[in-house]
Amino acid sequence: MSRLLLLLVALVITACSSQRDGEVAQAADGFYAALASGDGARACALLSPRAEEGLEKGGDTCPEVVLDLDLRGGAPLGGPRVYGDEAQVRLAADTVFLHRFADGWRVRAAGCEPRPGLPYRCEIEG
Amino acid sequence: MRGFVRDNALSLFFLLAFAAALVGQSFAGTADYNARQLTEGGLPVTWADYVTSSDFAVDVAENWQSEYLQFLMFIMVTVWLVQRGSPESKPPGEEGGQSDREQRIGPFARPDSPAWAKAGGVRRSLYSNSLGWVMGLVFAASWFAQSVAGTAAYNNQRLSQLQDPVGWSGYVLSADFWNRTLQNWQSEFLAVLSMIVLAVYLRQRGSPESKPVGAGHAATGVES
Repeated sequence: MSRLLLLLVALVITACSSQRDGEVAQAADGFYAALASGDGARACALLSPRAEEGLEKGGDTCPEVVLDLDLRGGAPLGGPRVYGDEAQVRLAADTVFLHRFADGWRVRAAGCEPRPGLPYRCEIEG
Repeated sequence: MRGFVRDNALSLFFLLAFAAALVGQSFAGTADYNARQLTEGGLPVTWADYVTSSDFAVDVAENWQSEYLQFLMFIMVTVWLVQRGSPESKPPGEEGGQSDREQRIGPFARPDSPAWAKAGGVRRSLYSNSLGWVMGLVFAASWFAQSVAGTAAYNNQRLSQLQDPVGWSGYVLSADFWNRTLQNWQSEFLAVLSMIVLAVYLRQRGSPESKPVGAGHAATGVES
């Protein structure tokens, strides 16, 4: 009986974890798919509010700026790394950080380069 | 029923106090977590989400492990070390595991002695150290739970600061793990030290943790 309960708990946790990882990967994929198709408005809609605001400087709009950055993603390197409401997706040409909002996962940092011992330096950050 | 409550009042009091404090911690923790979420542009969580989160788990586990370590060390160290004048200590000269006669085991067991104290071999050996073993196992399990929940909470924080997450082995070598661990240990050791030393000179009338008010300062191992 207790083994069955443990198995059920493990199955539920695995299923929830797979679903969550899928949602994170989908959000990162959607962001780069929008950029690849030149749809800046769609890409901005997948950014966190602060990241979107961060791109709107000097009268330029987010959809214009986000396309000018010429970000490239590439194939995923392993699965998403998700801890609570924060996630990281490593792609061949970029590392993306996401945050979970009421309406789902959104990109809060992209165009990121690692710095040894320091946080990533990102072209989009918020 | 009244007899049961009176006979177990001490355990029941601390059981209720523990439950009330844990529930209070869960509500205060939810409010604190949501206040931080708002300042960081995040999403508030429900009480149910918070009590199943790694943040709550690590905060609970880090306190549990230190409390069980405190009592484990108190139980084990007082076998071998004494403090003259302390009601928490055996009198000087009685250090060690003592004889079978003094411990009322094996052939020296009494009619009301536990069955495993009357038995021989592994059972007697196990029962002779059962308090230390159980406290030690709960300490180890709590410390391990702290390390697992702490890894998740630490990685949540690292990702929010645009840093790579670390594995379990990386976390148990991190400053965060040892800062959480040692800040709890130091307070527990200070509390035990205070209890041992203050009880030499100070009294609490009626408490079995104190010597009788009129007992001399040099009287050791004397409780009310």
